[in-house]
Amino acid sequence: MNCLDFKRLALSDPSSRDHSFIEHSAQCPDCLKYVGSIRQMDADLSSSMDVEMPSDLMARLQLNQELTEEIETAEVIAINPMRRYAMAASFALALFVAGFMASNQFGSNNDISSDYQALLAGVVEHMNEQAITPVWSAERANSNANTLLASYAPEMKLKFLSNLQFSRICPMGQYKGLHASLETADGQVTFAFIKGDSVSELFDAGYEGYVSRVKPIRGGNLIIMSRTNKALQEADSQLEEAMYWDI
Amino acid sequence: MTDLSNENDQEQVNYSMMDKKRKYALLIEAHSKDLYKYALWLCKDKNMAEDVMQEAFLRAWKSLDSLREAKAAKGWLFTIFRREHARQFERKQFQYKDVESMDTIEDSSHMGYDDRPEAFALRNALKKLPEEYREPLEMQVLGGFSCDEIAGILDISSSAVMTRLFRARKKMRQILGHESAPQLGVVGE
Repeated sequence: MNCLDFKRLALSDPSSRDHSFIEHSAQCPDCLKYVGSIRQMDADLSSSMDVEMPSDLMARLQLNQELTEEIETAEVIAINPMRRYAMAASFALALFVAGFMASNQFGSNNDISSDYQALLAGVVEHMNEQAITPVWSAERANSNANTLLASYAPEMKLKFLSNLQFSRICPMGQYKGLHASLETADGQVTFAFIKGDSVSELFDAGYEGYVSRVKPIRGGNLIIMSRTNKALQEADSQLEEAMYWDI
Repeated sequence: MTDLSNENDQEQVNYSMMDKKRKYALLIEAHSKDLYKYALWLCKDKNMAEDVMQEAFLRAWKSLDSLREAKAAKGWLFTIFRREHARQFERKQFQYKDVESMDTIEDSSHMGYDDRPEAFALRNALKKLPEEYREPLEMQVLGGFSCDEIAGILDISSSAVMTRLFRARKKMRQILGHESAPQLGVVGE
């Protein structure tokens, strides 16, 4: 190998274990220096991008897997076809009723200021992409929800909610928080705790066919979304009791 | 750079005999730090990097049975990550900052990068490379992949990878002032 070939290979693969490459570097001080400078550049480049991984990310990766596994297991207990049709029919009816209520009782999307709208849009986008799986163990859901809350807001706790469904930790884009749901007598209610600046005051609105409530709480906002007002009120009062701050 | 001793330990693990959960735990332990570094560099946003990583690991879990060899794990995981990144990029393009306009000192410290001028200059030099040269260099320097592994991930020939790496480093050296003018012949792609 001559110096030109050596330098070509050094630029392509400075850690090459090619015999003639190693032999040449042992015999030619200039080429040894050359490849040394390239290795140094690589090492400097790599360390210029060193970052600390968020302390809770590894735990979240692990927890996500456990939650997914639970869902996979739960899905084995399949919902029978007739029940599926019944659920679809109920859903369509609820959507129609909620849409009607939303447009009459809670105003329209246009009346919502941008802060609230951003929160609601974030939660709805998330709900559409990450549907809550309707089979869950309350003990497990409570324990996992508290684990996640602890990683976001250590002083915040959730008292046991027997109707809590929390299927998995999932991406929430720009937001950090918890997305879960409560089974109430009047249907499923989704709620999200979003960490960040609190909005100035409680706000109810109709949004994308849901009745929604954005509520400022310590360390962030609580967003509750339901197909019916009654279910929303019930969930809100349950969450009022369940969420507390350990200070 | 990649911890080679750890990598060698990993390569000796027999994945096919292993419980799926244990396999997944090993995958997180061995590769999440490197992947996060790569993810943050690619996404330019901490939240997005975490999101894409979580989704990628979830996809990895779902298809973990197809992974038989520990030595293939890193390349396999990075491939899943790149696909997920492409998918999310398509969906949430509006949230991304243009690579060319990125990396002010403020951005660097916000993301937790070394904000010394030398480090800043290196990152900016990398960004100035055309994407086709930058990508294999990122994989080799950040991911510790060999030319053959990069070829597999990018689905191009090894010789094409060698050429791109050659040009990438040559250009980097010129930008950084280590090499004033082209002196070497270019290997044909």
